[in-house]
Amino acid sequence: MIAPRAQTRRFDDLAPWISTLARLIVGGVLLVAGALKVIDPRSSVAAVRAYELVPGWLERPIGWGLPFLELGLGLLLLAGLLTRQAAVVAGLLVVVFLVAVVSAAARGLSLDCGCFGGGGEVAPGQTAYAGEIIRDLGLLALCVWLVWQPRSRFALDHPELTRAAELEREGQR
Amino acid sequence: MSQSQRDRHANRQRELAAQQAAQRRRERRLLAGGVIALVLVLVGAGIGFQAWRTHRAPSAGTVTPGPSAQVTVTDGQPISWGSADAPVTVDLYEDFHCPHCVDFEADYGQQLADAQAAGTIRLRIFPMSFIDAGSAAAANGFACAAAAGFAGPFYTGLFANDSLDWSDSQLDQLAARATGGAVPADFSTCVTERRYAGWADSIDAVATATAAGVTATPTMFLDGQPVDITTLTPDSLTTKIQEAASS
Repeated sequence: MIAPRAQTRRFDDLAPWISTLARLIVGGVLLVAGALKVIDPRSSVAAVRAYELVPGWLERPIGWGLPFLELGLGLLLLAGLLTRQAAVVAGLLVVVFLVAVVSAAARGLSLDCGCFGGGGEVAPGQTAYAGEIIRDLGLLALCVWLVWQPRSRFALDHPELTRAAELEREGQR
Repeated sequence: MSQSQRDRHANRQRELAAQQAAQRRRERRLLAGGVIALVLVLVGAGIGFQAWRTHRAPSAGTVTPGPSAQVTVTDGQPISWGSADAPVTVDLYEDFHCPHCVDFEADYGQQLADAQAAGTIRLRIFPMSFIDAGSAAAANGFACAAAAGFAGPFYTGLFANDSLDWSDSQLDQLAARATGGAVPADFSTCVTERRYAGWADSIDAVATATAAGVTATPTMFLDGQPVDITTLTPDSLTTKIQEAASS
């Protein structure tokens, strides 16, 4: 790389902070999205049904189970536990959502993505596919970053990155 | 230290380090396995919890008094409560599985029941069935209850237990709660054979054909005038009913 050593070190210092921010954003979004759906399971199932992508017998397990998966992933990301694995699953989930929304738009369905509760069919003029796709792409980018740079500050995965551990190391030096 | 001693020492150090690394990897795998298992259990338990929420027996809920008289269910006609001479007619389009209708009932159900009991309004209920199979089952059950003469408590019970699927047995159980155990013999048959499924369809057709347009539930009309529910408060509802009554 052309970058001088100092710059590389600056990236190494900065990356864990960016990763922390990414964790908090993706984790927070998943937590909110999951919580809003858990309290309204019927809408969640109706939202799954509106996409017309899965057979009828799968609508309920998905509509009921997916919010809990989002909650679990959200908690892992917020805690910084198994960050890389959680980011892989969250990223795959976002890809599934993207495919579903794009396919709904392409098939001319009128639905609300149901990303944050609610969802299901809406009036033809009421769709917001572009915004939903942009949001999902942003989340996907953050997931990809986390898979690449899972080391982050304030994470259970990396206690050695905490300030206290750092000071201790410096003291030993 | 001789050369061989130094080698042995270095070897031991390396072994120790390798062992520690292996130990750390084992711990890490254990942690990963445990956390993944925990998430899977969470998802499984979540599905189980939601299944239980939809399949359990209904509770009585807050049961407001309704008409004790039996009602003749006519295609295209709502289930109406209150005096036919009441100065104000309130039309309500609701789906028994619509979350906003549940909120609406919680906020204004008692108020409307009181106004109806006071003879100020005639309440006309149009139960729609567009959300899922449970909506249709509940709409049919509601008509059965109206025909049998306990539509009022059954109606509040349906909204108080909106998380339920409304299987035939759940509707029977709700009827038992709503009547204090004295369910007319015919009710269960009426539910099972979907006697008023055609009536429920006719109500959906009425809603679609309404000139003012019923595009969402709940939709309320006061003497035929649509009421904006998003800006409604208990006070403004009282005012609107009084204004309509005095005009």
